[in-house]
Amino acid sequence: MAHIKTWFGDIELHNDEIVGSQVLNADIDAMARRLQREDFADFDKECRGRLREIAIKLQVVSSEREYVSLLRAIMIQRAKERIVTAFAQPDARIIQLIDGIDDIDESINLLSERLSEWCLLTSETSMPEDLLEAFASSPSAQSPLAQEFAGSISRLCELRQETASAIELEMRTTAPNLSTLAGELLGARLIARAGGLGSLARMPASRIQVMGASKALFRHIKYGTKPPKHGVIFQHPLVRGSHPNIRGKIARILAAKIAIAARLDFYSKRAYPELLSQVEKRVGELQTAAQPRTT
Amino acid sequence: MKITPHKVAGVFLLDRQLATKGEALYGERTFDGYRLWNPRRSKLAALLMKQAHVPLAPEQIVLYLGAASGTTVSHLADIVSLVYAVEFAPRVARDLVRLSERVENIIPLISDAAQPDYGPVVELVDLLYQDIAQPRQAEIAVKNAELFLKPRGHACIIIKARSIDVTAKPKTVYKREVKKLGELFDIESVHELEPFYKAHAAVIARLT
Ligand SMILES: C[S@@+](CC[C@H](N)C(=O)[O-])C[C@H]1O[C@@H](n2cnc3c(N)ncnc32)[C@H](O)[C@@H]1O
Repeated sequence: MAHIKTWFGDIELHNDEIVGSQVLNADIDAMARRLQREDFADFDKECRGRLREIAIKLQVVSSEREYVSLLRAIMIQRAKERIVTAFAQPDARIIQLIDGIDDIDESINLLSERLSEWCLLTSETSMPEDLLEAFASSPSAQSPLAQEFAGSISRLCELRQETASAIELEMRTTAPNLSTLAGELLGARLIARAGGLGSLARMPASRIQVMGASKALFRHIKYGTKPPKHGVIFQHPLVRGSHPNIRGKIARILAAKIAIAARLDFYSKRAYPELLSQVEKRVGELQTAAQPRTT
Repeated sequence: MKITPHKVAGVFLLDRQLATKGEALYGERTFDGYRLWNPRRSKLAALLMKQAHVPLAPEQIVLYLGAASGTTVSHLADIVSLVYAVEFAPRVARDLVRLSERVENIIPLISDAAQPDYGPVVELVDLLYQDIAQPRQAEIAVKNAELFLKPRGHACIIIKARSIDVTAKPKTVYKREVKKLGELFDIESVHELEPFYKAHAAVIARLT
């Protein structure tokens, strides 16, 4: 006796004969919904080879041609649902938020450039931060249009702050280990670069280490300087804060741990706080060892 | 232009360019009802250009793992009777679904081939085709063959050496992968895909 659950219903077979069945109407929505809800066990090849025949016998469909066209309609519907949910997954949201931050940074950058050019004509300072401060303390001293610009910039800065907080929140629940190890924003950037937490979890550490230098990365901080040439990982304080001689080594250690963190997050989400302290310890050793060379 | 049939039924050579019959589906050039099939854009086309013996036939049902946007799948559907096309990346899957809406004999499955949840859906297939560029791909091929491939059915497995091991020589990687596949399959032939693809090979195998 074999009990099989197929896309068109539950079938009971005994000595190759159908002895019981519970099949669905050829209703595409209902069939697609059932596939989404129920658990299905694998069944043996013999039954698998008879799916068309059984569906026709049970009058779910009247021909092989109809078998294919009904199944295809259901799976197209199902595929569309899956694609929509995939884009609503937390990591898809994180990727969108990161893209949002990059857009904001670019806008802030452009507006600030414009503003500082303007202000060069009227005031001594040209640093954007100082400019914004000058505006805040004596707004009336500036032209109304320049004030509007300054206002837009600070609103964008607020929006950036809000977006960053949203990312932190999402990252804490979606990727706790990656967040602890790399920081929420850097972690989010790694996820975005990889195209999702799942892809990051499948990546070897060597790939993670060199994963793209994002053009917009912290552009607002690095005003006027060229975008970083190194991979995203180089933005990590442990790497940036170390002597150039050992940065490569530290990046490698970090990438290896990040690979582990991503896997833990993807497969279990349990938090392992010791990951960060392990890296810090290794980095500490390297820094002490590198000391004589640097002095 | 001289049109000659390729030794695989459903495939043609227009002068020296590979083609299948049908309307353009992804912006490929067409000629008189034939769709040109670029061996630099499709590994299966590259394999056919290399005169490999590829076990394809008109009545076949194929399970295709790693369909991406469906470039190869769209030509394969011109050759065989039905293609179950598995792809898990949502962005490319969108194109695949659009393609399936236009082509009657493609069934899209948005799933992870490593954890096949299409058990209640996919029937027994004649050919397992895999192009997923993954370190664990041999394992994934074996798992899917165990569930869905007909006894003595064929498999065509694409190996991209660099996705499996960047440090090893491609030939070493092929050997290792072939060995893993050998646990379930009889290996019939291995073809490198040069000059169309660097460091790629195709393994033709058969379920023991
Ligand atoms: C090299 S591309 C395939 C190109 C395609 N075969 C063609 O010729 O048009 C590899 C595809 O496999 C997909 N892939 C990788 N691992 C997968 C898995 N476990 N399940 C489903 N799809 C996977 C990737 O998302 C990617 O789209």
